[in-house]
Amino acid sequence: MTIDAALQSEIFLTYVKIIGGLLVFAGLAIGMLRVAGKDVSSIMRTYRGWLIMIPIVIGVIFLGRTATIFGVAILAIFGFKEFARATGLYDDWWLTGIVYISIAAIAVVTFVADPRLGTPGWYGLFMALPVYVISAILLVPILRNRAKGQLRQVALAIVGFVYFGWMFSHLGFLTNTANAYGYLLFLILAVEVNDIAAFTFGKLFGKRKLCENISPNKTIAGSLGAIGVSLVMPWLLWFSFPHLQPWHLIMAGLIVGIGGQLGDLVISFIKRDIGIKDMGAVIEGHGGILDRVDSMIFVAPLFFHAGRWFLGLA
Amino acid sequence: MPVAGSSGWPERRAAMEEWEYHPPPDIDATMVEHLRDFPRQPYMLVYAIRSAAAMLLRGWMRLYHRLEIAGRENLPEHGSFILVCNHTSHLDTLCMIASVPLKKIHRTFPAAAADYFFSSLPRTAVSAILINALPFDRKVKGAQSLSICAELLKNEGNVLIIFPEGTRTTNGEMGRFRSGIGRLVVGTDLAVIPCHLQGGFEAWPKGKLLPRPRKLRLRIGQARRYANLDKSAAAVNEICQDLRDRVAELGRLNA
Repeated sequence: MTIDAALQSEIFLTYVKIIGGLLVFAGLAIGMLRVAGKDVSSIMRTYRGWLIMIPIVIGVIFLGRTATIFGVAILAIFGFKEFARATGLYDDWWLTGIVYISIAAIAVVTFVADPRLGTPGWYGLFMALPVYVISAILLVPILRNRAKGQLRQVALAIVGFVYFGWMFSHLGFLTNTANAYGYLLFLILAVEVNDIAAFTFGKLFGKRKLCENISPNKTIAGSLGAIGVSLVMPWLLWFSFPHLQPWHLIMAGLIVGIGGQLGDLVISFIKRDIGIKDMGAVIEGHGGILDRVDSMIFVAPLFFHAGRWFLGLA
Repeated sequence: MPVAGSSGWPERRAAMEEWEYHPPPDIDATMVEHLRDFPRQPYMLVYAIRSAAAMLLRGWMRLYHRLEIAGRENLPEHGSFILVCNHTSHLDTLCMIASVPLKKIHRTFPAAAADYFFSSLPRTAVSAILINALPFDRKVKGAQSLSICAELLKNEGNVLIIFPEGTRTTNGEMGRFRSGIGRLVVGTDLAVIPCHLQGGFEAWPKGKLLPRPRKLRLRIGQARRYANLDKSAAAVNEICQDLRDRVAELGRLNA
């Protein structure tokens, strides 16, 4: 992944056209709703958020592998920070600092070549990293000679690192695959379309609640509609990975369709338990970083390992 | 050990005691709101940047301005205190920041005019992150800003930096001391430490873009306390006059 490679990649250029086209289409649709006299102020805020986020994401991928790995690490660090602030873990600067450094270490391990094989990305250490990080986290109460409240702090730090840091960082490791543009851009587009489909189908047909104690707005209709849309997406975007078999496409659709919604529900129950509405307010109309990447955290590692299992990725 | 339930069969105990979370009240605030917020929430990144900036500042002051600080031993080691100084340029604040021990840097708050230092986003970022400035409303909400200062000083170990003239001098002469400092300390046991900076006006007069490499001399005087005075307008005036005399006296020693 370099700027030159991006300019020569049919896949990258096609995605720029598709996503640009979708943005224009969405803008026109909102405009028509407005003309029809509907209240579009909240959709408009969300749309403005997209107008800022999409060029940044595409720009970072365009800049190449280093920028993408760095970008994922920044998202992971600030995403974890939102979690740490919301739970109160942030008051413990030792544990928070260890997780920050560990997420930075993931980025380094993603970036360097495997010392034995010479292939990009040190896969073995990437997968083994939680062992060392969890050990370091568990060492903190011992070194401080303190027990009161430490299980809670340590548990929050481990969930924070493993879920928001390590699992999410699998997205960055996709840059080490031969077909990085296809996988990355497919995942980003498919996951977001899945989110939007769940919302839209829920609004149009939703009656029965999916998980009313966690997220009162989610409905079974929305969920099924999203899975249906997600099952179609890999066929529409088959050009991203022409070497995949049809049953691979079905699997990719299920991972995005089901995994994406589970990721959403994970952040929802965390927020419910804490008692907050949004994880932050970084992105206008979208809430915090975690409110936006929630689905991707769950999908990226599943997608990566499915690919590794069946296609020998990375 | 499982607990026997009413049926005689071991029942699961209720889930473990609920964890308490403490989400901060400003969780929904945007980045700008975080920067404008006071008192500030502690952030690791901000502390790291501020510490690095403070170290750079010390090096720069020593090399570029050959800053000399006399009377550092007059700074109390414990408790909160107020530093009061003549106001000749932006260098005053920087010199005062450079005079307190590094470990107190995150608890040192220069009172800065909100209408100037918190007017735009870049200025707010510099004031909040690098300088750790306390936004002081010198126009409409003066009393409210003073009560924030009083609140701050109630906590152990905070340092407040105040320029009682309220604005930078335009002619090099020290102006009248405004009543705020007097109202803040009258009848309290707070230590007020008068300081005088020599050379700031020559180095960076109001209106110039960049400072010139002139020598700076900061003299820190002995702490004054005004616990024995009653809260009255006369006492407030007396405090302002007394502090102004002390600063002027340090200025004569500094010349």
